Amino acid sequence: MRRLIYSYHMHLDFETPVREHNFKLRCFPSTDGRQKISDEHIKICPVHFSTSERDSFGNMCIYGTAKQMHSRFSVDVSGTAEIDINLRIKAEPHQTGIFKYETALTSAGKNIREFHRSFEPRACAGEYERALYMMGMLCGEFSYVSGRTGINTTAEEAFTMRRGVCQDYAHILLSLCRLERIPCRYVAGMIPGEGATHAWTEIFDAGTWHGIDPTHNRECDDTYIKISSGRDAQDCAINQGVFYGGGRQTQEVRVIVRKK
Amino acid sequence: MSILSFGNSERLFWLGRYSERVYTGIRSFLGRSGTWSSSAEKTCFDDGNNESLYCSLIFAYDNAIVLRDEIGSDTFSYIQMAVYEMNSAKKSPAPLLHLQKVNDNIAAFWGMADDIISDENVRGIIKLGKRIERVDLYARNNAGNDEIRREVRRLTYRIAKTGLHYSRETLEGLNKLAEAESIDRPEIIRKVESLIKFS
Amino acid sequence: MTVTEEELCRHSDSVNEQLARYGVRFGIYRNGEFHEQLFPFDVIPRVIGHEEFSCLERGLKQRVSALNEFLKDIYSERKIISDGVVAEEFIYSGSGYLAQCDGVSPPKGIYAHISGIDLVQGKNGSWYVLEDNLRIPSGASYPMIARELCMRSIPSEFEGNMAEDNRDYPELLRRTMDFVNTGGHSVILTPGRLNAAYFEHSYFAERTGARLVTCDDLTVENDKLYFIDYSGRKEKVGAVYRRISDEYIDPVNFNRASLIGIPHIFDIYRKGNVALINAPGNGAADDKGIYYFVPRMIKYYLDEEPILQNAPTYLPYYEGDMKYVLENFDSLVIKDVAEAGGYGVVFGNKLSSQEKDNFKSMLKAEPRRFIAQEVIDFRDIDIYEEGRRVPRKADFRAFVLMSDEPVVWKSGLTRFSRNPDSFIVNSSQGGGFKDTWVISK
Repeated sequence: MRRLIYSYHMHLDFETPVREHNFKLRCFPSTDGRQKISDEHIKICPVHFSTSERDSFGNMCIYGTAKQMHSRFSVDVSGTAEIDINLRIKAEPHQTGIFKYETALTSAGKNIREFHRSFEPRACAGEYERALYMMGMLCGEFSYVSGRTGINTTAEEAFTMRRGVCQDYAHILLSLCRLERIPCRYVAGMIPGEGATHAWTEIFDAGTWHGIDPTHNRECDDTYIKISSGRDAQDCAINQGVFYGGGRQTQEVRVIVRKK
Repeated sequence: MSILSFGNSERLFWLGRYSERVYTGIRSFLGRSGTWSSSAEKTCFDDGNNESLYCSLIFAYDNAIVLRDEIGSDTFSYIQMAVYEMNSAKKSPAPLLHLQKVNDNIAAFWGMADDIISDENVRGIIKLGKRIERVDLYARNNAGNDEIRREVRRLTYRIAKTGLHYSRETLEGLNKLAEAESIDRPEIIRKVESLIKFS
Repeated sequence: MTVTEEELCRHSDSVNEQLARYGVRFGIYRNGEFHEQLFPFDVIPRVIGHEEFSCLERGLKQRVSALNEFLKDIYSERKIISDGVVAEEFIYSGSGYLAQCDGVSPPKGIYAHISGIDLVQGKNGSWYVLEDNLRIPSGASYPMIARELCMRSIPSEFEGNMAEDNRDYPELLRRTMDFVNTGGHSVILTPGRLNAAYFEHSYFAERTGARLVTCDDLTVENDKLYFIDYSGRKEKVGAVYRRISDEYIDPVNFNRASLIGIPHIFDIYRKGNVALINAPGNGAADDKGIYYFVPRMIKYYLDEEPILQNAPTYLPYYEGDMKYVLENFDSLVIKDVAEAGGYGVVFGNKLSSQEKDNFKSMLKAEPRRFIAQEVIDFRDIDIYEEGRRVPRKADFRAFVLMSDEPVVWKSGLTRFSRNPDSFIVNSSQGGGFKDTWVISK
């Protein structure tokens, strides 16, 4: 079992102050079948009303309103995660059907389909092994380059450029798995070091979810803290907000994860 | 008590104002029928000019159509029929006959609004719009001092029955101006236009 | 009936004049511009006999009950999938399925509060369901006001007439809203005047006494929904009959680029603090692909034989059906499951051989996208056109309102095609409407 200390900071700066800011945040790791969260501290500023709930994918959300004028909106989350590499998140098949079908962001176009056709036919022990195989193929074809893709870039667009970031790696792998109707989902989370949030995927096989990280071409170990999961990055949107005013806005995210 | 949205309170007010603008405008033509001319034609029917009676009626209609549930379909139908008559007037060799029917419908609209709308504030806001428009029009169009005084008194009586926010100071100022021996018309217009502010 | 049909038709103009007087219109977008136009009314009613309607009524109640069960199931345990009755692909790949609704129980377990079921009558007299509309079906206002105006224009027609009075629709609607209301006002939420059905929204508001509101009039505070009065007073709202589609209802939960919507309304709906009518996510049950499965749903959930039949339908998704569709292409009508309003409908025999080949390869490439149906030989209905009786294609939309039990409105919207060669009756494509009389005994 591994203990990790994490902190997540995000702020939005508005060029001109905003008001009636309604937000929904999804940046809170929570206890599940493989990780246990303790010493959790959350600070949202400013805030007039907020409440927490789990969304349909089981992700912890806090939504609320910041009524008064503000030019910065910030969230700080910190805590300790205990992760046991031997534990897995369980699910029933009726809960996983939805993860077998493509979404707008993970839809396979001509290029992904063509790439998929170049794979060896299925000769793997199970769906998990098949996903690992496809992850290896993807990593041979795709390079990590930031700044070329954005949050709305689809799997097909990123694959066509052969360049992208962790979100794109995850979307393309999901797209490939879904061509074979393997239940798979997008995961937003944090890994040791300093920087931004990370994204990887989970593959459903034999009753449990298995994390694999296509950006690093490896299986997830006990250093991966999960924040949320869903069909694609949109289901895991860390912050969704509407407000009056604002002009241009800039977002900054700082994640720190240390081993204890 | 029914509930009234901010947006609808503003629409009721403008429905009152635009219907009055058309009504008083048409009345002025009916009062001097011999003067129908191409300039009268323009004042009435120019659909490219927001000041024309045609456009004013369309503005009244635009407000009325989204107030169906406040004023009732029957009340609304008179504004609808006024629009049909206005369109007939535009094409007719005897436009005044149709314009007279436009006014018949507007008068019926007011009468039914007064009779059928159960919420005092809803009724009151339409009437206040009408009163404010009338003071403005009379002050602009050289109505006699006594007429202006009477209209300011009617407005003053009405304004408290709307639930709208207004400036008491401005209202007092307006009354003082109206009671003065010689009436400062531009100042009357300025005051009456600043009495109620939406937003 | 104490009036001859000829007399009836002489009064056609006066009824249409009355409809114009009350601004009975619908809006359409042409070349990106909004136009309002009168909805042409034909004075000859569709008459449905007492026995015939009783049968329709039982069938409609059964169908809507099953659809409601289906929605409850697919947003919770999904037994119908694990039992292999409905192919899951048609649920999850359909545009109407909303993952956000998974695990949400709407007040009183009602999803399909107001359903519009489209039927046609075949030449042999039997009725077929063509489409279920469980999102925001519109149209009830037109026959309702037309009846009122006909009774005014042609009173003799109604003397001793056995037609059920259809002007009780507002009461049914009110009961449906109040039944699920979680405390506070019931309101009707309209996207605004530039909506095709704005007349209906405002007319329902007038007749039910529920306030007509736009998104700006509502706000969520402390997990409750409020209407803001013009004086700034807040009034709690417990039921929203929303005539806005799912994706625009809440920019914090759905389409984030949307400029309309009420932030957090979906969050408090999830918590059971407000009723949304109809329930978000209903599109999962009225998808053209799901339609195929409705008779199976009725057996599965209710353990009953379906009383109403579907038009014979094929899913090219299934191999056997694909084979049939390709072989019998000329006798079928093919529908794109993602389209509505009479668009995306292709009659096999109307295509050139080149178009046919193109279409068939599209069908093979995207079998999930289409359904195919036998062309039903509609029973034509007469309309009056320039003083002559002429037969036209027509359909019938029945309305089912759910409160403590499903109730079928004893009338409905009969739409007809004004073009003699067309099967498309949609008002957006120039169709007209009739009143529908249900005979009381």
